[in-house]
Amino acid sequence: MITTRKPRREKENQIPRKKRTCRFCDAKEIYIDYKDEKRLQRFVTEQGKIIPKRITGTCAKHQRQLVQAIKRARHLAMLPFVSDAIR
Amino acid sequence: MDSAVKVYESTFIVNASLDDAQVDGVIARVHDVIVKNGGAVTATTKWGRKRLSYPINKKTNGFYVNLEFTAPGTALAPLERSFQLDEMILRTLTIALDRKAIAARAKAQAAAAAAAVAAAETPAPVPAREPLFKEVAPDKKP
Repeated sequence: MITTRKPRREKENQIPRKKRTCRFCDAKEIYIDYKDEKRLQRFVTEQGKIIPKRITGTCAKHQRQLVQAIKRARHLAMLPFVSDAIR
Repeated sequence: MDSAVKVYESTFIVNASLDDAQVDGVIARVHDVIVKNGGAVTATTKWGRKRLSYPINKKTNGFYVNLEFTAPGTALAPLERSFQLDEMILRTLTIALDRKAIAARAKAQAAAAAAAVAAAETPAPVPAREPLFKEVAPDKKP
């Protein structure tokens, strides 16, 4: 059976985005510390949710470390579990 | 396996309404527990009073203390127990430091030391200051 491959549709409507790279890999980071509160805050939304790696571009390996660090920081009340935006 | 000596790190939050001498007392008690169970404290860092992200036991501030110690695994249970019994300790986190963490720490310390040495050897050159207000030539009127 002959299968013909469909040509991939050009994504014309989408804006070409720059490929994001893992910031921790760029910095050759080997360990993400839960004490580094300010660094962790960048990977958390205003509500306090962890931002997925597809948005931040963090690699899987570092995302796992990051998640653990954020959860530790939350336990110590350095980061919020939930925080509502002040209206 | 449990008795192998490992490097641990413990961070705990002390009630911030205590004064500094009392906080030192709490830290000394924790030290005692570690030493009695065959461990040794290698570093104590006080981060000081900080605002908590969410209230714990109706308190919004806490005094953070970070300890680094080596101990056999058997020392942890009594340590955790003493944390639980101490009413002045709001929250604790004890983790074993793995090889990566220790390496990262050594690297950071080396970098800090190098920076300190560099700063001591070559004081930052003071840039020549420009006058805050430049004298502006009065507008030439025709």
